[in-house]
Amino acid sequence: MSAGISISCGKAAVGRWLEEWISSMRLVPPAPLAIAVHVGSIAPQDDGDARTPFLQPQLEIRSGPPQGDVRIRWLAGPARALIAPGGHTAQVEIGPEALADRERLAQSFLTAVLIFLLRRAGWHHVHAAIARDPSGRDWLFAGNAQSGKSTTAALLATWGWAVGSDDITFLVREGGSVEAVAQRAPIALRPDAFALLGLSGGTAARGGRKAAFFPEELGGSWAARVAPRILILPRVAGDVTRAEPVRPREALVELVRWSAWVALEPALAQEHLDLLNALACQARCYRLALAPDLFARRDLMMELVP
Amino acid sequence: MLRYARHPDLRLTALEGEGVALHLGTRRYYSVSESGLDILEALAAPRTLAELVALVTAKYDVTVEQAEVTTREFLERGLSTGTLTAEDVP
Repeated sequence: MSAGISISCGKAAVGRWLEEWISSMRLVPPAPLAIAVHVGSIAPQDDGDARTPFLQPQLEIRSGPPQGDVRIRWLAGPARALIAPGGHTAQVEIGPEALADRERLAQSFLTAVLIFLLRRAGWHHVHAAIARDPSGRDWLFAGNAQSGKSTTAALLATWGWAVGSDDITFLVREGGSVEAVAQRAPIALRPDAFALLGLSGGTAARGGRKAAFFPEELGGSWAARVAPRILILPRVAGDVTRAEPVRPREALVELVRWSAWVALEPALAQEHLDLLNALACQARCYRLALAPDLFARRDLMMELVP
Repeated sequence: MLRYARHPDLRLTALEGEGVALHLGTRRYYSVSESGLDILEALAAPRTLAELVALVTAKYDVTVEQAEVTTREFLERGLSTGTLTAEDVP
C-alpha cells in the first residue's frame, strides 16, 4: 500500500487491484489521501448540478462554485466520483461493467480522480515528461499527446538518462524551488515511434495500440523526482532538430496550456498558476523542434541546450 | 461613474514585470504586457478610468490623452472578454 494514498473497497478482489494500481505509481504525497470505492449498480443521479462541465476525453468534470465539490463522471462506462470541498477522500462508485476494461478505467477515470486528490496535497498536474541527463541536470518536457514527449523520453532512456513520467507529472513547491514528481508508469510508444527507436518487445498498452517500456528496460534509470532547470516545449517538426530560447512569460503561457486542470477549483487555481510561474522562472526555457536527426546523434540534445 | 474591477474568476500571476491572466469561468488565458499588468493589479479593487489613467501617467512617459486612449482600449477589451467588470456608481 502506498504510504500516502489509502484504498478502501468492499469487494476484496477490486480492492487488491486498486492497491496494486496505486502502489505501482509510487506516489507518496505529503498529506494522507484516500479513495473509498463502492462497487455496484449506479443509480441515475439528477442532483441539479448546473455547473458547466469541463470535458476531457472520456470524462465529464464539474467543479467550483456554488457547490465547491468535484464530481467526475466517466463517459466510457458506469463510474463516478465525488470529492467534498477541501476533502482528502474521493468517494468513488464503479459499476461492474466498468471493471471489464480495468486498464482504461484506471488510465482515464481513476487517474483523473487521483489528480484532483493530489492537488489537495499541494501536487499540481502538468502534462510533461521529466528526465535527468548524465551530467545531473534536470529537464521537463511539457506538451500535448502529439508533441513527442514519450518518444523523446524513450530515446533519452536509451542514451542512459534517468527518465520519470512521459506524461503525468506533478509540480510541488519544495523549499524555494519547484520540483517535478513522476507518476511511475511505462513509456507508451505508438508504432511509428517504436520503429524510429528500433525497439522490440515491450508490454502491450492502450488496448494493444502502443508498446510500453520502463526506462530501465531501455538502458536508462527511473527519476522519481527532479528539480527542473531546463524547460523544453517540444513539437515534432521538419528534418533538423532545433532549439530556440523562449522568454519565461511565453513558457508560462505554454505551461498553462498544458495544465488544463489549473483553471478548475478557484481555491487551488492560484497556487497551481504560481507553481507554473515559478517553474518558468527557475528554468531556462526552449522551444525544441524534434526531427529524425536526433535519433542518430546522442549528443545533439546537450549541444543544443548546453 | 463607471468603476472597473477584475472579474472574481480572474487569476493573475506576474513574472519579469509582465503577466499571465487566467479566467476560471471561461478557462481562457491571456498574456499580459507590463502596463496591462499594472492596470490589472490596480483593479484588484474597483477603479475609475481617471484613476487608472493617473496610475499609467505616473509610471510611464506618456501624455494623459495617450494614456486615456490605451487604458480605455484595455478596459473595453477586458469587458468584452469577461476578464473585467464595470459598475455604474453614482
